[in-house]
Amino acid sequence: MSRKWLACVLLVFAITAAACGSRSSDDETGANTTPTAAPSSDDGGSTSAPAADDGTTGDDGDTSTTPAPGVDCSVPLEATEIGVTADTIKVIVMADSDSPLAPGLFQGAADGAIAWGEAANARGGLACRQVEVEFWDSKLDPTQTVNGFLQACQEALALVGTTVLFGNDTNDLNSCPDMAGNPTGVPDLAYITTEPPHQCSTTSFHISRPAAECPYSSGERNFVASTGAIQWALDQAGGDLHGAFLVPSDLPSTVGASVPQIAAQEDAGVVYDNAFGISGRATQAEFSQYMQPLRESEANFVYNGSNDQTMLKFRKEAADQGLDVDSITWLCSLSCYTPGFLSEGGDAVEGTYVWMFFLPFDETDTNEELAAFVDALGKDFPEAWAAGAWADGVLFEQVVNSIVERDGPNALTRQAILDELATVMDFNVNGWWGDVNFDSTLNITPCFVMMQVQNNEFVRVHPEERGTLDCESGNVIEVTANPDTFVLD
Amino acid sequence: MRLTTLRPSLTLALAAGLAVVVYVSVQNWSGSPVTLDAVGAATIVGVSIGSLYAVSAAGLVVVYTTTGVFNFAHGGIGVFSAFVYWELVENTDGPGLPNWLGLVVVVLLVAPLLGVGLDILIMRRLRTAPLVVQLMVTVGLMVFFLTLTGQIWEANRARSVSFFWPGEGFDIGDFRVTWHRFAMIVIALVIAVFLRMLLFQTRIGVAMRAVVDNRELTALNGARPNAVSSFAWALGASLAALAGILIAPEVEFNPANLNDIMLIVAIAAAAFGQLRSLPLTVVGALLIGLLQAYNRQWLSYGGDWRFVDDAIAPIVLFLVVLALPQSRLDVGRVAHNLRPIERTTRWWEGTIGAVAIVAAAVVLANGWLNFGFWDPGAWNQIALNNGIAALTLALIGISLVPLTGWAGQVNFAPLAFAGFGAYLFFHLAGESGNALWIPVVGLLCAPLGALVALFAARLSGIYLGLLSLAFALLMGKLFFPHPRVFPPKQGGQFTNLELFGRDFDERKHYFILLAAVFGVAMLVLIVLRRSRFGRRWVAMRDSQAAAATVGVNVVWTKIVVYATSAAIAGMGGVFWAISKTSIDSVRDFDVLVNFEIVLLMAAAGMAFPVAGLFLSFRFVVEALGAKLDDVGNLDFLVWLLRDFLANFGPGLLAIGMVVNQRGAIYEMGKGFAPLLPWRADAREEQADERASKRVPEIGELGLHRPFTSEDVVELDHRLGIVDDITPPTGYRHGTDPAEVSRV
Repeated sequence: MSRKWLACVLLVFAITAAACGSRSSDDETGANTTPTAAPSSDDGGSTSAPAADDGTTGDDGDTSTTPAPGVDCSVPLEATEIGVTADTIKVIVMADSDSPLAPGLFQGAADGAIAWGEAANARGGLACRQVEVEFWDSKLDPTQTVNGFLQACQEALALVGTTVLFGNDTNDLNSCPDMAGNPTGVPDLAYITTEPPHQCSTTSFHISRPAAECPYSSGERNFVASTGAIQWALDQAGGDLHGAFLVPSDLPSTVGASVPQIAAQEDAGVVYDNAFGISGRATQAEFSQYMQPLRESEANFVYNGSNDQTMLKFRKEAADQGLDVDSITWLCSLSCYTPGFLSEGGDAVEGTYVWMFFLPFDETDTNEELAAFVDALGKDFPEAWAAGAWADGVLFEQVVNSIVERDGPNALTRQAILDELATVMDFNVNGWWGDVNFDSTLNITPCFVMMQVQNNEFVRVHPEERGTLDCESGNVIEVTANPDTFVLD
Repeated sequence: MRLTTLRPSLTLALAAGLAVVVYVSVQNWSGSPVTLDAVGAATIVGVSIGSLYAVSAAGLVVVYTTTGVFNFAHGGIGVFSAFVYWELVENTDGPGLPNWLGLVVVVLLVAPLLGVGLDILIMRRLRTAPLVVQLMVTVGLMVFFLTLTGQIWEANRARSVSFFWPGEGFDIGDFRVTWHRFAMIVIALVIAVFLRMLLFQTRIGVAMRAVVDNRELTALNGARPNAVSSFAWALGASLAALAGILIAPEVEFNPANLNDIMLIVAIAAAAFGQLRSLPLTVVGALLIGLLQAYNRQWLSYGGDWRFVDDAIAPIVLFLVVLALPQSRLDVGRVAHNLRPIERTTRWWEGTIGAVAIVAAAVVLANGWLNFGFWDPGAWNQIALNNGIAALTLALIGISLVPLTGWAGQVNFAPLAFAGFGAYLFFHLAGESGNALWIPVVGLLCAPLGALVALFAARLSGIYLGLLSLAFALLMGKLFFPHPRVFPPKQGGQFTNLELFGRDFDERKHYFILLAAVFGVAMLVLIVLRRSRFGRRWVAMRDSQAAAATVGVNVVWTKIVVYATSAAIAGMGGVFWAISKTSIDSVRDFDVLVNFEIVLLMAAAGMAFPVAGLFLSFRFVVEALGAKLDDVGNLDFLVWLLRDFLANFGPGLLAIGMVVNQRGAIYEMGKGFAPLLPWRADAREEQADERASKRVPEIGELGLHRPFTSEDVVELDHRLGIVDDITPPTGYRHGTDPAEVSRV
């Protein structure tokens, strides 16, 4: 009896907790083809903002609809490829969501892709068909990530919005057979991938370009880095920025990604006295030791290459240790553009600059695509993962429309999509993001917008005009670096 | 530390280790000047960090000293308590208690209740359990609490815990010591002093330690062991909660981070105090903090040594465990190790089992199974991929069977050996994927196992477990991330396996091959178990003293079993790496992955080779969930399998060892064996067991009426056992027993 009682107590305890904490499985799995209301288009935003004189671009406001002009949907529709039937096009969004310790990690990516699918269907679908978006949870697990690739191989036309950390094994992604039996692989329109094999996969097209030379090899490689934000910060500081770069040091891949950024920023004119290796498990007390070098070198610049929590704790410690935090330019990438950075950081993160390559979420009045995204997600401040997955959806939509316009609705194959993706130039998510080209992994967007935390809000500081990005071509710098030999402080 | 008692060989090993440390330090000297100011600044930081570790480590030591159980769940309890504190104090939708009140509620109410609950429900049943079971249950509890916390609070959501007295403090030179950190230092010292006094100078403290030494004797001396034990667990949980709440503001607030600091570093500090001395534990914690601070001040790492920065606590743990004095022979507790004589599996039974496994793999992979009303069809690529992942883990998992299951040597590092095997194969076989290198890899992994055995030979019990944990951490943080061990390569580091010109490039073929390899490995182990080696290993597990008495060379036996285990794991690692194509040099060797393998093997029954198949647990429940999802309208079952069992299953299975210490395979085998025609012994055993459980009829005992309490009293008086019990009404001393019934 006592054994059963013990088992029951544990089970009830766990089930209750799990039921309280976990999301409905309905939110997590399965295709969703329910049409939603058409995205908001009555927001009064400009749809054809002209390019700014200073090299910034405006919103071209061209939100595509299907069927594309000139497409004849009256032809008999065929099942032209795996994942394509006469009625539907099936795509898969794969993201690391449910793991025991970090549930919901990239759930935003799934939400973004599913929302895009609903919006696309509301506009009439793609290639005269409805879009089915199925979510595959890769669970921060390499086996489940490979399974996601296999699921796409078996059932989908493409992967859209891929946001995974364990994409080490891409053999199936690169070469699984298409309907004709050719080893075409699956088109993978990805947002976040950290592992070089995935970044250099021949079928992966990342909306945030890998910025590194492919195929991958260890040792010295060619990279590109966006330094527009750095150059702007240098201008503001009269050309003198020196200090520290916070390198996320837990994984070789994160160190490897930071090294070319450091090199490019130094090329741009920043002097890095220190590159602190910051573990995601570091305590704030450990940061206190970094304050002395900053104080001794009279540093006036700290760049965070890690996540928002690192910047937040670093800034808190700097304040606690009596550094003149107002004399330091604190700069962070998109990783700090989170509601948590504001809510948890409070006064400690005031003044922090955050640069990003798409228009901020509060400028829905300036861009229809952004407005549609925010409306579809139903949040004032959606997750950046959702934005990336949505952008991938728009890319997929554009590619499919191009194929259909040229060759008709029965021309959709994986090979056609791969061929078309490689020719996409100046893709900018209908004016929401900076332009990217997909003909090389080294073609990253030069565009950026600089935000600053002011009164616990993200406020645009450059370019000042809402709805614009700074897209000077000189914002991108090419560098050669060897991440393997880089020395961390 | 009694360094004088170290053997010369060990002194040499320690000296070599220290020489490596010196070499690495010289190689990576940053060039920062060593000034008084720099030393002072680093020392202040080091003491601040060390005090964080000290608070946590003290709780670990107190629980071990007062319960005899090394509590891997210490961090898990601290994490859970810290999140409860966040709920009470920080959550804007919560009650919004003042932080001091939240601290009091959690540390003095919630945590003690949790501790008492754990004691009553689980820990008391572990009193006489083997060490492996005790450890596995606490590891299971750790996983359970971390998962529970993650699920309740959706741990990925950004949240933070505020410091006490935020921003306030005092200055020492250029450094500000915040009141929160100063309080941590004071609390660490007070805990060390107070608990030392509690344990050694109070009645309850003496009782707590006495209960660990001899529960029955303590009870005979008037103590109440159950109450004492509950108090000890309540105290331990309170200390875990206190540490969790005080450390939470310092870290990125999520379960994994907090547990990492509360457990791994705390273990190193606790080992410094030999798990018993609180003052030495605090010294150990401060030492680690100082080493980290000095390291950061004067050393810069790149290339070969980039991840040394993160390995200081494991290095300290490894060196401290090495320096521990030789363990004493555990003669006083031999009785606890006794267990029924096991029937060992015959080789032909193993052959039948192996053939059955291969046949099942062939049938399932080809879809030859058809139930008429339901044809599952051939396994698709996903099912095959899951099957491959499960079988490769099984091949690594069964390396624990001879080492832990039979020889009783706790090992938390199966993936360290497996990774070493993968490394050797990568560099030996190159791109050929030639399977003929696999036995060579096995032979080359054996010396690594033997090397670990040389260190392990001196140790036993929990110290052995800590040594293996330190080994797993060192390999995971220093060896595998080295850029030349698994250099990233386009298309992956491993190609398909090739055997006699045949390329196993199809998943189905590789899956069937793995099933065959697992079957053969199982058979080899069964034969080994029946060999002289196997008997020695089991004898060593039962009692090293007794084994030595009958002529078993314990050290040599340990070396052989470690080498065997390492060889099996190394070869399994090759299959594992090939199935993955690319190795993630950091995440694939995370200590939690090691824990899960050990945990599931223990829950299945570490002594049985077939237990390796239990490592497919997560894949099976998820596959079943997917199947049911396809059927539709079974949402609850799908949720139960996919969300609940897949997340909580491993932890709950390990906790289940409280009631089933020999594992699920043993229980299943006990029920299944009597059905086999040649197992008359199992049928007899079953009959005996049933007979022993049956309540005898009165007539069978030679009695003619019910035996009552009055009869007991009467018998006690006649035997002179009790003479001060008030007789029942109407009872007359010396009454004839026949009259008792009339009364």
